[in-house]
Amino acid sequence: MPGPLASRSRRSLTLLASLLLSLLLAVPLGGSRAASPSAPVTVRVLMPSPFVDATAPLVAAFNREHPDLQIAVDRGPLDTESISDLATGSLLLGSAPYDLLMMDVSWTARYVAAGWLEPLEGLLGGDLLAAMEPGARLGNAFGGHLWRMPLTGDTGLLYWRTDLMERPPRSTEELERIAARLQAEGRVRWGYVWQGRQYEGLSCVMLEAIHAFGGRWWEPGAGRAGGSTALASPAAIAAASWLESLVQRGISPAAVADFAENEALQLFAAGDAAFLRNWPYAWREIEKGGGPVVGKVGVSTVVSAPGERSGGTLGTWGLSLLHGSPHPQQAAEVIRWFTGPETQKALVLDQGYAPTWASLYADADLQRRHPLLAVQRQALEQGPLVRPLTPLYAQLSDLLQRRVNGMLSGAATAGDAMRAAQDGSVVLVASASGTPAPGRGGRVK
Amino acid sequence: MKRPWASLLLMLPALALLAVVFLWPLLQVGLLSGQASSVLTGLEPVANGGANWQRLLRDSRFWDDARFTLRFALVSVGLELILGLAIALLLHRPARGRGLLRAVTLLPWALPGTVLALGWRWIYNDPYGPLNALLQALRLPAHGFLTSPASTWLFVVLADVWKCTPFVALLLLAGLQSIPAELEESLRLEGAGRIQILWRLTLPLLTPWITLALVFRMAQALGVFDLVQVLTRGGPAGSTESLALYAYLQAMRFLDFGYSATVVLATFMLVALLTLLGWLLLRRPAPTPAGTRELAR
Repeated sequence: MPGPLASRSRRSLTLLASLLLSLLLAVPLGGSRAASPSAPVTVRVLMPSPFVDATAPLVAAFNREHPDLQIAVDRGPLDTESISDLATGSLLLGSAPYDLLMMDVSWTARYVAAGWLEPLEGLLGGDLLAAMEPGARLGNAFGGHLWRMPLTGDTGLLYWRTDLMERPPRSTEELERIAARLQAEGRVRWGYVWQGRQYEGLSCVMLEAIHAFGGRWWEPGAGRAGGSTALASPAAIAAASWLESLVQRGISPAAVADFAENEALQLFAAGDAAFLRNWPYAWREIEKGGGPVVGKVGVSTVVSAPGERSGGTLGTWGLSLLHGSPHPQQAAEVIRWFTGPETQKALVLDQGYAPTWASLYADADLQRRHPLLAVQRQALEQGPLVRPLTPLYAQLSDLLQRRVNGMLSGAATAGDAMRAAQDGSVVLVASASGTPAPGRGGRVK
Repeated sequence: MKRPWASLLLMLPALALLAVVFLWPLLQVGLLSGQASSVLTGLEPVANGGANWQRLLRDSRFWDDARFTLRFALVSVGLELILGLAIALLLHRPARGRGLLRAVTLLPWALPGTVLALGWRWIYNDPYGPLNALLQALRLPAHGFLTSPASTWLFVVLADVWKCTPFVALLLLAGLQSIPAELEESLRLEGAGRIQILWRLTLPLLTPWITLALVFRMAQALGVFDLVQVLTRGGPAGSTESLALYAYLQAMRFLDFGYSATVVLATFMLVALLTLLGWLLLRRPAPTPAGTRELAR
């Protein structure tokens, strides 16, 4: 039957042709970014969804006041790592569609090593960080350049219930004792909730725990990775044992092994836990939620083992300029405004974000309206913990998360989990540095 | 064919399209798997001999993930075929409201995978999810559905079976409707019971459709990504990490593109091998009812 066959193939040819045509038409639409000099310049920013909502009124006001310089915000996902995945996807294609990226502190070294960022010191001029709280200055520079201007000064904090105790615990032992007593008296279901899911939050919890017991995750040194890990030290194993015992003794629910920030926050906000480990945002979140613990929440710095001195993990967000941005000058202008004291002050008042500027922590009016500031300043002064500053951090963190999460789920003891994490890290650092993996030659995890 | 070149010419656009969207990327991945391209090389590809493949052979995480992926695919597709067949048989019987029932059955399949995974995350939530509420109502202890490395994979399978059974059911239903009713009629007149009809007539004639469903679903299940990424992120303790998720992590999160390409290529070979195997096992000519005895064994 030549008739229908011919017409069918003609139809599919037409279809193919129109497909190709539409592809050709689509290319220039996505490709042209250069603006003519007279037209207003638009600076595109990719941010996590909560930041987009938090800054929307401020950005709208900026755009009204600056007709020649517009900020266009792209809404990214909620989750930290998903944002990085999204940005990575477009950066790999060569020129990203964004000028600025809101970056987590743990990405800096990796993004710099990939060649995706532009140094900021020349564009912003002067030592801008000098006017910030010392703790908030950390994690923005790498290899002698400034790569990121921090917008928030977040660190890990300990939330406690003012209706259940007089004052917050000062040590891990005291925390356990108070929690166990309250549980035994039936005044609260769980003692302490935190982040134990296999994700970046668990690495933050582990970093705090390792330092709380006097250990280190990362020892800076020579080599392409910039150092080595110390996860099998007695202190690091003691830290893991502590978390393990919290679950085994029932002070923390077994479900912490699947808790991220939000799950832990919900349980605490529902009045089912005495202590919560979380970031500064949780304060506003609990107060806004209107649950049973509103007005009964205190905030303190994280605890450490008796005789040790720990800090909270630094979890700041900041803006970086992406390599290949067609208008770096204007983008730097936007960074200066976005991370400046006025924007930060508005964000403290509206959202409860922790600021970075020393002047804001000294502002008496602000302190009165946002009581968390005093604790947050203390946390930043105490010396917050920076996650290993190496391009390999994402792999190292993944290795540790898997092992510690396995321990929390009962698959391994603390000692085995930490030794395995250490072995895996050693092999990774060695192979990534181009040297053969040491010894044994067996299978590696 | 009188003019083989003519048919070749007509196939050319399709072949060209295949070459562009399939062969070309495959070649690229093959090339990349022989190179180091990571943060430590500044993302520049540097030939490293077979180092990636040596690493793959020693990488127990790859083999753990391969075991999970295989187990997940075999168990979920097996369950989907059994349940899908049962549902197809039910929906094939004439009954009132059958059209509506068929539409309702399709709903899980129409749901986007990530939305479904989020939904199941809530169902499995410990302690606030409905499943745990049910357990508590029965005075049973709450269960960490997503925190037990030994059993969490089963709950991932359950979510997948819930979503994909309708697809299998629909495919098999189409197959059932292609079986002429007269054949069943004549077997019944000869005194065959329901089980016999199912075993000797329906199943053999349905074999091509079952093969189709099997091949489709196996290829999909072996590449499972969105479900585990949202439901478990490969946890707890990496026990539900699929090969696709591992390749994704290596590339997008660790920026180790050389090794990621190696994982992708190894996975592709594995899937191709399995699909071929399944196809060879089930590739038989559509039988006639008279020849069903042999096939029914």
